[in-house]
Amino acid sequence: MKRVAVVIFPGTNSEEETVRLLRACGADAHLVHWSRAHTLGAYDGYVLSGGFAYEDRIRAGAVAAHDAMMDPVIDGARNGKLVMGICNGAQILLEAGLVPGTGDARRPTAAFTHNVPPHFICKKVYVKLAVQPRRSSITAALPRDAVLPAWAAHGEGRLAARACEMEELETGDHLAFVYAHADGRVDDAATPNGSALHCAGLVNREGNVLALMPHPERVFPPHAALFKSFVRGVEAS
Amino acid sequence: MTQRRVALRLKVPDTTAYTALVALRRLGVPVARVERATLIAVPAGDDDAALECVRRDESLFNPNLHEIEVVRLGAPGAGEIWIRADEASSMQAWRLTDEQGLPVPPPVLERARDALLCNPAIETAVVGS
Repeated sequence: MKRVAVVIFPGTNSEEETVRLLRACGADAHLVHWSRAHTLGAYDGYVLSGGFAYEDRIRAGAVAAHDAMMDPVIDGARNGKLVMGICNGAQILLEAGLVPGTGDARRPTAAFTHNVPPHFICKKVYVKLAVQPRRSSITAALPRDAVLPAWAAHGEGRLAARACEMEELETGDHLAFVYAHADGRVDDAATPNGSALHCAGLVNREGNVLALMPHPERVFPPHAALFKSFVRGVEAS
Repeated sequence: MTQRRVALRLKVPDTTAYTALVALRRLGVPVARVERATLIAVPAGDDDAALECVRRDESLFNPNLHEIEVVRLGAPGAGEIWIRADEASSMQAWRLTDEQGLPVPPPVLERARDALLCNPAIETAVVGS
């Protein structure tokens, strides 16, 4: 069985729910503390969970993106391992340049930044798969146009980028998930944070790194479709 | 009424500046000290009015934590980078010094900007000369 690491930075939270749901989905998942960065290379997939890594000092995710913990994650992603970041984990992946992956490593080309209006939001939302499922190994087992419940809990979840980059996100099929209503309709009312393109999640060019702002693991009763798909992808990799 | 720029600094240890120092050194940027201030644009008739405006805003200023002063410069000085997030009214001012306590030169500031301090997707940085 392939092994999945749930990466813990100083300030990470949600790691227990994340590892529990991964295990419920059949993964051999382990929490890996920041003092054990040297062990990360041996894992087959990575999940960066939510929280406030390094207290979001400088910018959300910025310090963690340059931490030694991210060296094996970046190397792994370059070698095709699956990486999923949720909430703060998503912010870290964008700061690390892994998603959308249109620039060099650790040179961000987009960000999940301050919500508009500028408030922390904490509410149940729905996200809709906006790419073909097989566009990403992480979403490959989801049905087309899947609508998943998730819990938005962030003050900085609005996708922002320069105009040329935004065009690349659309034409390059990076927009993995958009906010939607439960029936799948996508509009401003379903988007709680003013995110550009209604974006809730981005995938890299190769399809092996996914950054998703709302938390699928916080929904009750648990809705495990995305995690199951991720685990299946890791097993197949 | 003119705009005045007020610098808001922590007078307790600044853990964000320390974290930036550690991260920059890990990234190979030769810096010995990092200081940080928030620059706030205040419409005020004189310096005292500008300072009082910030003092009255409890969401910005805590007298136990912060000290404030009016900034005369319109651009970053030696060893400084000013970073403005898109749509933000305030800026972050970073001051980097070397082992001798001297301002680091512009190439080092540019490395710090590119490596960590600025996300060009959402921020604009001005480097002091």
